[in-house]
Amino acid sequence: MANFKKKKRRYAAQNQKSAYLFILPSMVILSVFVFIPLLASFVISITNMNIFMKDVSLVGFKNFTRLFVDSRVSNATFNSLYFTLLEVPLQVGLALLLTVCLAKNNRYCKMLRSIYYLPFVCSMTAIGIVWSMLLDPNMGLVAYWLKQAGLETVAFLKDPKFAMPTVIAVTAWKGFGYTLTLLAAAVLNIPQSLYEAAQMDGAGSFQKFRHITIPGIWSTISFCIVTTTISAMQMFDQAYVMTKGGPLNKTETVVQYIYDRGFQTAPYDLGYASAISVYLFVIVAVMTFVLRRFILKRGEDADA
Amino acid sequence: MKKKLISLFLSAAMCMSLLVGCGGTGKETGGQTAENVADIQNEQEAAADTQTDNQAAGETASGEKITLQFWNVFTGSDGDILREIVDNYNKTNTDNIEIQMDIMPNDQLQQKLPAAIATNTAPDFVLFGVENIAPYVSNDSLEDISDFWDVTGVDKSNILENVLELSHVDGKLYGAPMQYNVSYLYWNKDLFREAGLDPEKAPATLDELAEYAVQLTNPEKNQFGLALPTSVTYMQFLWANGGDADDPDTNTNLLDSEENVKTLEWLQDLTVNKKVSPSNITGPEADTMLQAGQIAMYMSGPWQINGLRAQGIDFGIAPCVAGSAGAFSPAGGCSYVIPKGTDESHKLAAYKFMQYWLTDDVLKEWSQRNGFPVWSKTLMEDPEIQNDEVLSAISKATEIGRSYNLGYALASQIDNDVMIPLFEKVMSGAATPEAALKEASEAMDRVLAQ
Repeated sequence: MANFKKKKRRYAAQNQKSAYLFILPSMVILSVFVFIPLLASFVISITNMNIFMKDVSLVGFKNFTRLFVDSRVSNATFNSLYFTLLEVPLQVGLALLLTVCLAKNNRYCKMLRSIYYLPFVCSMTAIGIVWSMLLDPNMGLVAYWLKQAGLETVAFLKDPKFAMPTVIAVTAWKGFGYTLTLLAAAVLNIPQSLYEAAQMDGAGSFQKFRHITIPGIWSTISFCIVTTTISAMQMFDQAYVMTKGGPLNKTETVVQYIYDRGFQTAPYDLGYASAISVYLFVIVAVMTFVLRRFILKRGEDADA
Repeated sequence: MKKKLISLFLSAAMCMSLLVGCGGTGKETGGQTAENVADIQNEQEAAADTQTDNQAAGETASGEKITLQFWNVFTGSDGDILREIVDNYNKTNTDNIEIQMDIMPNDQLQQKLPAAIATNTAPDFVLFGVENIAPYVSNDSLEDISDFWDVTGVDKSNILENVLELSHVDGKLYGAPMQYNVSYLYWNKDLFREAGLDPEKAPATLDELAEYAVQLTNPEKNQFGLALPTSVTYMQFLWANGGDADDPDTNTNLLDSEENVKTLEWLQDLTVNKKVSPSNITGPEADTMLQAGQIAMYMSGPWQINGLRAQGIDFGIAPCVAGSAGAFSPAGGCSYVIPKGTDESHKLAAYKFMQYWLTDDVLKEWSQRNGFPVWSKTLMEDPEIQNDEVLSAISKATEIGRSYNLGYALASQIDNDVMIPLFEKVMSGAATPEAALKEASEAMDRVLAQ
């Protein structure tokens, strides 16, 4: 008996060894491109390093104290939060709404789902350029149509008030197809028998949606919310391409400001840029933690 | 056992595919060096061939072949002309020098070059805007080339003083001048005719500029009198009325002045009340609108000329307008610089190319084909240059050039953090000139305190 146990343990250990071999490739990639840069940025954030990497010395938390009085950091934080709080509900909500209509496996629904997925396949840069051309108030197609219809032209990306909402709309337009695909797959996995049982109990379509569909796909919804939130907090390319952070810094997000300090404005202060990235890292970590706690808890409640 | 073998094999396969994958991406960045090595080998063979040929012909070859790496930021049509000149140099030079040119956008170059210098993999010489020289020098990343004139024998006194000044930091020479420019006032003669203005007479004062701009604006036709893009500074307006931004020599803030308030009020009136400019446009968008004939007047550098010619626009070039204190325009230009760590033989070879560039023939070709002003004194006497309508107009307009924060390491920060936001706020009407100026002045204090 004891011998058998030992054997089993040894077998398990061997099994684990090959398991480590399996994760080795991704571990190598992750450490080279994620963990090492992550640790490096923590270290760089307490130095005065610039891009020339000459005379580097430790400056303690000077970069961080500077960060909290810099009005562009607070402005960028506000913009990132504004973007996230509007973009995530818009993207997930739109996808959820369409899921209800399109969660059938007939040809029509499949075709529409593929069409909605198309923008997600394109690069954000290409999409950004196309939309900024369409929305341009002086030579864009949308402005022309509005004018033909006798309406007042809106400057969209060039108007301090409308720039951010426009960026949000374009981002949601690009991303909702992906969320839709995930949600539709989850909905199709819900056993049909549940719906039939509910029907027998006399549940209406809204009740079925509320009490069967939502709990059934809750884990997928929470996955979508968490991943969309993280990518929204790291928003960079769409604003960089469409507005360059303007007008009046109204679309400048934290990542853009990091890029600006590190690579665009001499003296290319990598130390300060890293300090802002650490600050963003903390915000995203806290948000993810809170969101996961909150959503998973709700998921458990819904299951019960 | 079998399972174990399979799993081992599989993981080995994955590792291999990973390596291959990495190799694939690595190739893209490293490919160039591999190519270069191949090139260099080919060239060495070629050089050996020519050497034997030369020896056969009884000539003495001038040493080994030198290959120079050359980075620059000429991504526009001027880059093609530059490439032709460099190719021509490669073919005709007698010093066995071969230049390999690499063109990249400026922000890409600014990201790559400092790291390359720090790791000793920098190119042998670089061509970029003179505003970059000071930050590189303050980080000890450029070679001092003050001995250039003695080594090459180029006549320093033949070059205009204000052009040379751009390549100096603290009295030392760090770059050989390549081109020089200020901002000019372009105007569309057809639109002037339509508005009933004299097409041969450009506005000369700030008041005239405003008056013309209003007359030339026609919202019905989506036509604007004067394009004022954001993300740039308008020092020419501040200077015209006697104001200024800062004094780099004494590190003082000069923003908070009566003159500046007056100028900015005039500017805000023009953009917010009179709406003579499309709001919040970028420079490239303004370029496109100018070429499409939607903009009547625009202040920009000489790089507009080729585009306007290509679009068949009937245009004129005038100096920037004058205010109560005169007319000025911020000067800029490009210089050849040598990154720190370039070895002596390559440095001398780069000197040879710079010397070639500074000959009147090359400078003349560059000016004539690109419309850049002439700054070599002997070339200015050249009858062909004097009879060229565009070049003579542009050379005249270049006389009002004034240096702005050149050789000052904080220049780019002052522009990005103080001046550009100031002009953007004033022109969009987001703040009154006084409030915007006060805020900018505080921001300037923070930058100057560094």
